[in-house]
Amino acid sequence: MRYSAWFVFAFYVIISLLLLVTGNNYQRSVYLTSANIVTGSVYKGASQVSGYFNLRSINRDLQANNALLQNEVLNLKNQLAQYRVLASDSLLPITYSDRFGYVAAAVINNNTSHPKNFFTIDKGSKDGIKSGMGVVDHNGITGIVNVTGPHMSRVISLLNETQHFSVKLKGTEFIGSLCWKGGDPTIGYVEEIPRHAEYNLGDTIVTSGYSTTFPEGIPVGKVLARVKSGDDSFFTLKVKLASDFRSLSTVRVIKDIYKTEIDSLAEFDELKLD
Amino acid sequence: MDRGTIYNLILLICLIAVQILICNHIHIFNVAVPFVFIYVILRLPMTLSTNWLLTWAFLSGFIVDLFSDTPGVNSLSCTLMAIAKRPVLYAYIPRDDRTKDIQPSLANLGFADYAKYLLTMTVIYCFLVFTIEYFSFADVKEIVIMASSSSVLSFGLLLGIDSLMVTKRD
Repeated sequence: MRYSAWFVFAFYVIISLLLLVTGNNYQRSVYLTSANIVTGSVYKGASQVSGYFNLRSINRDLQANNALLQNEVLNLKNQLAQYRVLASDSLLPITYSDRFGYVAAAVINNNTSHPKNFFTIDKGSKDGIKSGMGVVDHNGITGIVNVTGPHMSRVISLLNETQHFSVKLKGTEFIGSLCWKGGDPTIGYVEEIPRHAEYNLGDTIVTSGYSTTFPEGIPVGKVLARVKSGDDSFFTLKVKLASDFRSLSTVRVIKDIYKTEIDSLAEFDELKLD
Repeated sequence: MDRGTIYNLILLICLIAVQILICNHIHIFNVAVPFVFIYVILRLPMTLSTNWLLTWAFLSGFIVDLFSDTPGVNSLSCTLMAIAKRPVLYAYIPRDDRTKDIQPSLANLGFADYAKYLLTMTVIYCFLVFTIEYFSFADVKEIVIMASSSSVLSFGLLLGIDSLMVTKRD
C-alpha cells in the first residue's frame, strides 16, 4: 500500500474517533444530529408514508385515553365547584394546568436498536421548543429534548442508557431512579427504591415532579418484578414501560412557565456555592 | 466521472436510504440488525485506489451516522473494514493479472470464493460496529451474540442484493 494511503487512513480514523468522543448527548451543535435540516427533511418525507402504519392501534389507545380524560374532567369540575364554594377564586394557588403547557409534535424518526437511542420530532426553536423540555406521548413519558434546530428537535429517548428519570410509586412518596439497560425496548428498571417501600406487582410508576422537566404523576410503567440489587438498603424494580417505543407517532413537549425562574435560582445557588 | 462511478454512487444513495429508513428499524429478537449499505464498499472495483476506497467508506459511514445519531460508529467501522478489503479478497483468490482489476461479485468470483469474501467482510464490519457502540455498556457475550446474528442476517441480504445485480446485467 502506498505511503499516502496510510496517511488518508489515519486521517479518517482520527476524525471518526473525534466524532465518537465528542459526539455525546450534550453536544450543542445541531448539525451533526438527526435534527439538522437535511436529515430532518428526509425523515419528515418518509414519516408521511410510514405515519399511516400504526394508526389503528394509536386510534384505539387515544379513544381509551380520551374516555378516561373525560371522566377525569367531570370529576375535577365537580371538585372544583365544591372548592369554589369554600374559597374565593383569588386565593386558589396556580394549578398544574396553568403552570404546564403542551406543544404537540410528530415523531419523524425513531430508533430503539442502539444503546443510546434518540428520536427526532418536527417542532423546533421556532415553536418554542428548548433543550431540556420533557416529552410525553398519550401513554407516558418518552424522553427529554436534547438539541433544537429551527424546525426540528432531537430528543434523548427514555431508551438511552445515559438517561435517568426521577420517579415514584403512585400514591406513595417512595422515590426511585428510572433507567433503561439496553435490549428489550419495553422493559425499564427503577433503581434506588428504599428497602422499606411497599408495593404490589402491577402497581403504577409515575413521575415524581421533582424537576421542571415533567409534572408530577405522568405514567411511566407498571411493576413487573423485583430485581436483586447490590445495595442492601435499596432495591430495584423491573418495570413494563407505558409507552410503546416501537410505534411512537405523536408526542407532546412540556413547557413549564416556571422553568427559567427555577433554573436561574439553581444557577444562582451554584454561583454562590462556588 | 465515468459510468461505473455514477452507477455506484446511485446504488450507494439507494442503499443508505434503505439502511436508515428500513434496516435501522429492524431489530430481530432485540439483537440482529441488518447492514446493507456496506455492499457498495465491498463491490467497488480493485482498480480504485486505496485513497478513494477509504474516502467512499468513510463518507458512507458518516452519512449513516448522521441519520442514526451514532456519531463516529459507522464511519470508523467502514474505514477499518475498507482497509481490510484488499488483504481479505486476496486471501481467498490468487493475486495475478486476471484478478488484479477484478470487481468482487458473485458473477466474477463464483459462489464459493465470493461467499467467503462476503462473509469475512460482513463479520469484520458487524464485530467492529457492535464493539465500538456497546464497548462500555454490554459484556463480551452480548456483543458476540449481536454481532454474529447481525452478520448472518446481513450476509444473507447482501448475497441476495448481489444476485439481483447479476440478473439485472444479464
